[in-house]
Amino acid sequence: MSESGIVLEARELWRRYRMGSGVLEVLRGASLALRPGEVVALRGASGSGKSTLLHLLGLLDRPDRGEVRLAGRAAAGLGATARARLRARLVGFVFQQFHLLAELSALENVLVPRRLACGAAWLRRRREERARARELLAAVGLGDRLRHRPAQLSGGEQQRVAIARALVGRPAILLADEPTGNLDRRTGEEVLALLLELARDRDAAVLLATHDPDIAARCDRILALADGRIEAE
Amino acid sequence: MSLLHLAVAYFRSRALLAFSALAIALGVAVLFTVLAVFNGFLQEVERTLREFGGDGVVQAPPGGRAEPPLERVLAALAEVDGLAEARPRLNYFGLTGRRGARALDDPRTTDLSGLLLVGVDEIPPGLTRVDGGGSLAGRPVPPGGIFLGRVHAEKLGVAPGEEIEVVSFRRGSLGRPVPVRAAFRVAAVFTTGRYDLDQDRALVSRADLARMVGHAAGWSEITLVGEPGVTPEVLCRRAETVLDRNLAADGWRGRVRSWRQQGGNFLKAVENQKGVLTAVFFFIVVVAAFQLIATLSLTVAEKRLDIGVLGALGASPGRIVTFFISLGLVIAAAGSALGLLLGRWLTGNLEWVQERLFGQRIFNAETYIFSRIPVAVDWASVAALIAATLGAALVFSFLPAWLAARREIVAALRR
Repeated sequence: MSESGIVLEARELWRRYRMGSGVLEVLRGASLALRPGEVVALRGASGSGKSTLLHLLGLLDRPDRGEVRLAGRAAAGLGATARARLRARLVGFVFQQFHLLAELSALENVLVPRRLACGAAWLRRRREERARARELLAAVGLGDRLRHRPAQLSGGEQQRVAIARALVGRPAILLADEPTGNLDRRTGEEVLALLLELARDRDAAVLLATHDPDIAARCDRILALADGRIEAE
Repeated sequence: MSLLHLAVAYFRSRALLAFSALAIALGVAVLFTVLAVFNGFLQEVERTLREFGGDGVVQAPPGGRAEPPLERVLAALAEVDGLAEARPRLNYFGLTGRRGARALDDPRTTDLSGLLLVGVDEIPPGLTRVDGGGSLAGRPVPPGGIFLGRVHAEKLGVAPGEEIEVVSFRRGSLGRPVPVRAAFRVAAVFTTGRYDLDQDRALVSRADLARMVGHAAGWSEITLVGEPGVTPEVLCRRAETVLDRNLAADGWRGRVRSWRQQGGNFLKAVENQKGVLTAVFFFIVVVAAFQLIATLSLTVAEKRLDIGVLGALGASPGRIVTFFISLGLVIAAAGSALGLLLGRWLTGNLEWVQERLFGQRIFNAETYIFSRIPVAVDWASVAALIAATLGAALVFSFLPAWLAARREIVAALRR
């Protein structure tokens, strides 16, 4: 964390895409800052650039202009490997489509970020990592579905696995892109409640992209993304 | 290799990858079998050559020069360090025919069979009776008796106890060869396991043969057997040194050749053929590994989303490269393991396979000198084969792995 107590900061982010002969400017100077344990909703219409902003903040993409700082560290000058390392250490992702690896069990899916983060130390730490993953899956109500593959789980269960996967490394930042967008209302509410509870327990800063005002209302703060810029609501 | 489990999971769930492994398995199995057969062939050739001819041979001077007295040569050889046994022999070419056969008076007919008459004091190792009487090694040759090879006896149509006539040559008064005939009684019919030796070798008493052909010294070569741990080459070098030192005054011009030198061109031909076939079949394995490029490229295309997810979860480009290379190695390792099992089974059932596959024995003894296909697995060669297969897989996996790592994470995550 930086000395200012800000764990995630974006300054004047610009991102444009070439669309045939034209150029689409998605972000035009978007800025935001998140503190530990803070849950912030990012509202915006479809196509407003919420996912693009989350990708930039999670170091999956690079801005054309502007700066992203994670725990006080500027990402601009970092190479692909250093960015991957920083992402593995500080950021957890929850996607709308769950994005679990179909060939792996629920438990193995949750362990993937830990295997990546531990590298060669995995063999030494695998017992404690497995125990932690089991614990987390139990916390999301899937303690008896450890060996099930994604295809054997419902949408809500898959998203619970994805939440456990995002939190298993105790990331300082959790980026959730429409996490309930693929779930029915009741399941969506359950999953959201679980995500917010677990994130708060772990003091993680959450940025939750959504176009649903009810979901946004459950967050500590709401930011609106319109015309490529961010405004507080 | 922290994502090895994912590579294994991919391999287990995709038929395409299993087919890729199968292609490698077939290549490995064929090469395993080729190596085992050639190795077995070379081992059998060595075994029969050494059993019949010892570790080395002292050969009398060529060109008809008189051999030194046997006693002097044997006395000299007694000084050779590491020599366990020295057995004198007298070799003469001859013709055989059934007693009273017209052929013996008219050599134009096909009733005659040529062979090498080997005069010995006792039967060398490696000869067994075809009638199930066991090994003949160490047995003395009875006066007037002859031990015939299985193929030769079948050709003549004779059995133990029957008499045959042998024609050879002695030096006439004008120095020209003069034919001589003698009757021998078949003492036993033997087999060495090698078609050519069973066809063109007959053993008689050295004294009988010397008397028949009028050979004064009574020997033309001495087979040497070394003590355990003494290589044939070292033994032969020592023997040559000792003989040169002791018999130079007698005008000794003989030489000592190891069994490998005796087998010379034949062994080289087999080794060359082994080398050529190994190269050809290894190329097949390389081609099988080459298709990993296509298989893994397809997998990279199909698993685009997984690559994006791994990137989002913290996999660096290097990790992605390592992951797809490890997938290539998993395929190659599975293919190699299956190939080894298949090769092991093939080498154990070659006779059955050739009869099932071709309806007959394509390895006939007349061509390949052994009545059964000899097989011996050289595990060092097998280890080299597996290492080379994995090496080829590593090389061919790199390109698709590199292409996977170059993918933009965000583009990969978009459906």
